[in-house]
Amino acid sequence: MIDIKFNKEGNTLVVMIEGEIDHHTAMMARERIDSKFLMEPVKNMALDLSRVNFMDSAGIGLILGRKSRVSGVGGTLTIRKPKPAIRKLLKLSKMESMVE
Amino acid sequence: MKPINKMKIEFLSKSVNESFARVVASSFAAQADPSLDVLADIRTAVSEAVTNAIIHGYPDKEGVIVMEGTLYPEYIEIIVQDFGIGIKDLEQAKTPLYTSRPDLERTGMGFTVMETFMDSLTVESVPGKGTKIIMTKQL
Repeated sequence: MIDIKFNKEGNTLVVMIEGEIDHHTAMMARERIDSKFLMEPVKNMALDLSRVNFMDSAGIGLILGRKSRVSGVGGTLTIRKPKPAIRKLLKLSKMESMVE
Repeated sequence: MKPINKMKIEFLSKSVNESFARVVASSFAAQADPSLDVLADIRTAVSEAVTNAIIHGYPDKEGVIVMEGTLYPEYIEIIVQDFGIGIKDLEQAKTPLYTSRPDLERTGMGFTVMETFMDSLTVESVPGKGTKIIMTKQL
């Protein structure tokens, strides 16, 4: 199960994800996030993972895919408040520097 | 070493079953009262193994995935097996960041995650017959 809410902070789209990110939920998440990013006049994206209780490498793919889209318009993507288990995965994927 | 407990389930290669499989594996491992960190590692590795079977074992059709767990006094063994197309080049598949499915935003990190989060990983695959992933973790 996954729930996604959006917020805007200036030029940044804040994506608040709640639930579990795996191959199954990542497919739905990327469609929702991409369509919202296209609609909003923003340049940057912040993924708030504070309410994500589980993430596997599908989440890494989800983050890198969004990073690619955001970079395409000259923006930056950051990650907020990952839990320790997710931080471990980010470290393994050499993505810790993306954490705010 | 004599097992304390065993379990075996089978389910279809539907992506919704990724969460089902990791909940089952985690509940089974919890019988040994491991730390939350160990349970989190097992959940992640099982999710990767089952996703691998769904995406790469059965890319064009649904098939059966079998998951077995054996609890020993000090460790758990988990086997995830599919009977799909198998892996032609196992070494290439296990190479970090290699993926045959970039269209699905796969990162090629699946086997790396399994190796890192578990204590041992063995992959047996026969093209045309399927893939068997055997993992163990100290509890």
